[in-house]
Amino acid sequence: MNRKIWKLINLLVLAALALAACGAPATEAPAAEAPAQPAATEAPAQAVATEAPAQPAADVPLRWRTRPDNKEEIAVYTQISQDLDSSLEGITLAYEPGGTEGANYQDQLKTEVAAGTAPDVFWIPGTDVADFATRGLILNIAPLAAKTEGFDAQAFYSGPMYHLTYNPEGAKSGADSGALWGLPRDVSTFALYLNLDLINEAGAPDPRELAKEGKWDWNAFLDVAQKTRALGSDIYGYGASAWWGPYGVWLNASGGGFYNADRTACALNTAESLQGLEFQRALYQDYDVATPYGEDPEPPFRAGKVAMFQNGRWATPGVRTVPFNWDVVELPTGPNGTPGNWLFWGAYVINAKTAHPEEAWKLVQALTTAETQGKVAALGANIPSRVSQEALDAFLTFTPPANNQAFLSGITEAAKPTAEGPLWAGSWPEYDKIMGPAIQAVLTGGKTVEDFGATICDEANKVFTK
Amino acid sequence: MTEIPNQSNKNPARQNEFILRLLSLWRGLFSVLAASGAIAPWLGIFPNLRLWQGLLLTTTLGLASIFSAIAAAEIIKRRHKGRTISLFIDYLGLVACILIILQVGGVFIGIDALAEVFGRSILFLLAAFVGYLISAAGDYFESRSTTQKILRQVGKWIVLIGMVLFLLTANIFQGLLAIINKLANPMGITAIVSLIIFGLALWGMWREPTASALKAKTNHEQMLNGWLFLSPNLLGFLIFFAGPLLLSFYFSFTDSDAFNTPKWVGVENYAKILNITIKPLAAPDQLAREALDIQVYDEVGRIKFGNGGILFGAEDKLFWLALRNTLVYALFAVPLSVIPALLLSNILNSKLPGMKFFRAVYFIPSIAAIVGISLVWQWLYNATIGYINYFITIGVEFWNNLFNTGLIDPKINWVSDEKTALLAIIIIAAWQTMGFNTVLFLAGLQNIPGELYEAATVDGAGPWDKFWRITLPMLAPTTFYVVSTTTIQAMQVFEQVFILMNPPEGPNNSTITLVLYLYRSGFQNFKQGYASALAWVLFIVIFGLTLIQFQNQRKNSLYE
Amino acid sequence: MLTFFALVMIFPFIYMVATSLKIPADTFRYPPRILPRDPITIAVEGFKDPLPLYYVEIQGQKQEYALAKSNIKVGQYADPGNPTITAERRLTEVKPTGGAMNQKTATINGKEEKLFDVEVDGKTIPMYLASQTTVGEFIDPKNPSSKVYQNVRLSTPVENLSSHPENYTNVVALQGIDRALTNTALVTILVVLGQLATSIVGGYAFARLKFPGRDSVFIFYLGTIMIPFVMLIVPLYQLMVLIGWTDRLAALIVPWMFTAYGTFLMRQHFITFPKEIEEAALLDGASRLQILTKIIVPASVPALATQATFTFLYAWNSFLWPLVIINVGNEKNHVLTLALNVLRGRASDSPNLILAGAAIAILPPLVVFILGQRFFVESVASSGVKG
Repeated sequence: MNRKIWKLINLLVLAALALAACGAPATEAPAAEAPAQPAATEAPAQAVATEAPAQPAADVPLRWRTRPDNKEEIAVYTQISQDLDSSLEGITLAYEPGGTEGANYQDQLKTEVAAGTAPDVFWIPGTDVADFATRGLILNIAPLAAKTEGFDAQAFYSGPMYHLTYNPEGAKSGADSGALWGLPRDVSTFALYLNLDLINEAGAPDPRELAKEGKWDWNAFLDVAQKTRALGSDIYGYGASAWWGPYGVWLNASGGGFYNADRTACALNTAESLQGLEFQRALYQDYDVATPYGEDPEPPFRAGKVAMFQNGRWATPGVRTVPFNWDVVELPTGPNGTPGNWLFWGAYVINAKTAHPEEAWKLVQALTTAETQGKVAALGANIPSRVSQEALDAFLTFTPPANNQAFLSGITEAAKPTAEGPLWAGSWPEYDKIMGPAIQAVLTGGKTVEDFGATICDEANKVFTK
Repeated sequence: MTEIPNQSNKNPARQNEFILRLLSLWRGLFSVLAASGAIAPWLGIFPNLRLWQGLLLTTTLGLASIFSAIAAAEIIKRRHKGRTISLFIDYLGLVACILIILQVGGVFIGIDALAEVFGRSILFLLAAFVGYLISAAGDYFESRSTTQKILRQVGKWIVLIGMVLFLLTANIFQGLLAIINKLANPMGITAIVSLIIFGLALWGMWREPTASALKAKTNHEQMLNGWLFLSPNLLGFLIFFAGPLLLSFYFSFTDSDAFNTPKWVGVENYAKILNITIKPLAAPDQLAREALDIQVYDEVGRIKFGNGGILFGAEDKLFWLALRNTLVYALFAVPLSVIPALLLSNILNSKLPGMKFFRAVYFIPSIAAIVGISLVWQWLYNATIGYINYFITIGVEFWNNLFNTGLIDPKINWVSDEKTALLAIIIIAAWQTMGFNTVLFLAGLQNIPGELYEAATVDGAGPWDKFWRITLPMLAPTTFYVVSTTTIQAMQVFEQVFILMNPPEGPNNSTITLVLYLYRSGFQNFKQGYASALAWVLFIVIFGLTLIQFQNQRKNSLYE
Repeated sequence: MLTFFALVMIFPFIYMVATSLKIPADTFRYPPRILPRDPITIAVEGFKDPLPLYYVEIQGQKQEYALAKSNIKVGQYADPGNPTITAERRLTEVKPTGGAMNQKTATINGKEEKLFDVEVDGKTIPMYLASQTTVGEFIDPKNPSSKVYQNVRLSTPVENLSSHPENYTNVVALQGIDRALTNTALVTILVVLGQLATSIVGGYAFARLKFPGRDSVFIFYLGTIMIPFVMLIVPLYQLMVLIGWTDRLAALIVPWMFTAYGTFLMRQHFITFPKEIEEAALLDGASRLQILTKIIVPASVPALATQATFTFLYAWNSFLWPLVIINVGNEKNHVLTLALNVLRGRASDSPNLILAGAAIAILPPLVVFILGQRFFVESVASSGVKG
């Protein structure tokens, strides 16, 4: 008899689980019947629908995503999403931060687009636009943009817009190319975040002063790095993360680069590129002033153990919490006469499978208005992607850091920044996967610069479509 | 149940006859329905149907139709075969209907919603579990029946109250409403109606009078029971294991990329994976492009000797690097987690006090999540502030002071140096799997009869002799089991690398493993066809390794 | 020896728990320490905010002083004529020799150096700046006029033992670990129950019921045991896309409810069950299902527990499949391993938070293990015996 009761209870448990499984479909159901909902597929937007209690004239739910680089940035974009949610008519927004891990962010997105669960609007780095566009993962919004009054692609930096309007059919770019893949979220560039306490303690010259005097070159940089490194075995002069941005700078600054001028072949083996790489290798191996390549330099920098930390504007919200005196300075000038900086950008693009392209396009525009960009910039995360003196002037007031000019110096024409860009003639992800490990081998002492130069382009050139 | 039994309640034999006739009629009807269903996809009724879906539908329904027709004939002839086939078809139909109802009713997808409220309702579930424990505790008081009774009663009530609260907090009524709501469409209603029909047909065929009318025997009952018992497992296994496995095999011959329809490419994927070349080198440092066709091959590695050497090139360099890394990893991780475990188990097998405690402690690492473990080790391995380098520094200083030597602190960049990255992973693996293996060995040791040791003691064998002559040979089956499972696991290393390394391929691809490469091909580059081919190659490698171990084990046991 | 070894085995866990209770600055300290500590601050008259306390050494005695001001630039000045005469002065204390407009210089080692008037023992000597650093001003909290200058970075702060369990609530708020925990619990419970149910009935059919086709199916099952999961990841992913289960917890549960290995283990166990009891029950008119649930299952609790254990660990710790199938942005459906994967990027500057997250993922199975330790280990042991 006892057994029978147990059997009953077991059955109850199972039934309960099965029934409870439908607890929220109850709240989901009305939304599913909303006219906007596509009938055929379980649309990606459904997860959001649970949050919006049923209203007669249901808002179109849109999900959007950008990659935050730290928890401070998540707060910035959550705020933006809330602001836009109340200002955009007929659209309910849900912001979801993606993962922060380097390339993983894009890979996860691709998996989700394939599965049909990706957000309606998402941000991708400039390097990946070609890959997403040629795979058909993102929507060509040129037809929508043509119908939009007052939309002007010229308002944004031309570097990003060149790639965002590139049409692989006919290899044409520009306003009349018939292609528009998205709008740039912002632009950014590298600067060196300085731990002034360490630099002062080491008695090293102030890089900001040197920059003003025009003496901030590779030698001056090395001098400061060595002096601060001498403070102790756990104190480093320089720190940079292990991805293409930081190492690319040294190649650019000596007149080299990743590809040739029209981006159709590898140029990693030119004498200039190798010169830049050699200097960087020496920083890691010979002078031993840098945090070990491949280990994240941000924790030690925030812990006050790195004097100069190379990173983009996106690191500012996080650095604002450090307990020491800090500022930023532009990158040192290389043999080429320029700091070799990047013009980083990423774009908001629209999921090719979205059920609401019109609304998504509205959202993309709203996310890139001067006003929104001003808010993001004020919170510290980035530099507006619209070319306007007002925006730049406003940017300067978003302190700390006091020396915001360092970022702007990085993107002026005079500094000749290289625009981050996708490979339309090949696969950037594959190029990156060949270049990255090889450079890492050089910087960690596993390979000589000569060996690198002798073999790298043989491998890297294979990713270009003939 | 329904009106069928009531209709002719007075005469069981006639009633039975009637049901049998109904059943054969149903079989015929079903046969016709299924046949028309099988033809339907080719008449352009479902424009969205893809080719393979149409084929699948036609094959399934066509077979059902044919068998159903046979069954109808057999039932009319009163042969038991008709009953078997009928039961099979109706059962499968019933299961299909249930699945469709669950899917259409959103029960599977609704698990997400359950998770929503699970947080608050889990407490009540726990309460119910505690109630069960209290009730079960009653069994310990067999001698005192009143205590036992009270405990059981209390336990029962707690369970009941907990369950009710659990159901309430889990929004049971909302859930019910939601299901009904979702099923209120043609698809859902059809499924429910079919469910009832299949259910009735099953009941009609299963019942005793029908069985005896069709001359059922005990072995028939056993067969039906057997398939019935096996069915949940077998169906799930076919849908989620065997089916995908076949699909994987098919994909491996296509260029499937998850976005477009796959195209058949024959053995191209395999050819690319396995395309290698070995060339002599004129000089140890000769450039790869001079020795091999650089348009096709990349250098994987070279062996230098004298003033020449051998160059190893492959079309897919990363696969071969991954294979090398994985094999090296297994080559070190397996012995490092098996040999210490073997020694340890011999120590722990003694009857000294505290052994159970140590056994438990060694076992702990193997139950922790690898992702969590890897995060912990990531900070231990940190080159600047990590404990491992700190201990090395202390050790070096201690040694230098003690022996007045001038050893230099190596300051290893564990995860960012290509020489140590794989080693770092191996150490974690050894640490993590050793305890588990120790426990397996302990079990093996306890199965060795004590008389063997006693006899050896009489013969004057020392502990070392005993270990080599008795323990090792007697443990051979356990050793085989441990080594082969550890190897199979080691060949699939992924999590540690993915978490610990940034990027996961490690410095200069030194930690790219087969599974990592498979993940990358399939879900980053979306060459899913290629990834499937990689999966089959990985399987063949694992299979080969296990086979070798098996041969070894057989050979060794022959000698004993 | 065994104890030492045990310490090594358990050290990462100790480190994990201890670090998860620290403040971030403490986690970056070198040399590292196990126990969490906090720096102490003290309110000093004349200062608005409390000042951090440091140890300073005064006449060979260790005393606790408060840091009032940091980043005071001091120079090491040297006499160009006699480099052995040196003096340490604040940069603001010295005046350029000959006035700011017309500063005198001297050539040292071929390099022109500016000269400053430095007072040494009452005499003013023109000296050059040999090197420069910064110090902090430390004051006696009881007597703020008593001051000491020394390097701040190398000074030892006064600390006390303290723990920060709020790290756990912070990580829950940051990453929704609580939701991930309940998701993981739900997934694990359902997978364990499902696997047990299907493999009990399947194992029983294989062990006790004779029917045509049984042996070939069994051999088929056996053959698939060795097939690693990664073989299925691509087709299973596409199957999930087809039936709309991507980004759903169902994808983590339903496909895992069926196991060839578990069925095999069950079969191996049931086959040892004495046939006579079963036959007697059959004669009494019991159905197969009754025999299974009332006689065989209650007698097989240890074997069931073994399998439940394996399944529990596997389901709780699995990572690759959730990584592929669950959206990274949909934190509502994250399981613990996924949440940890995202957390490690978001909180890369706070090991205390990451390790608090790791602890949340690791401790529940650990607690289960410690509670049922004896049973647990033995059940694993029994699984290997027949191998």
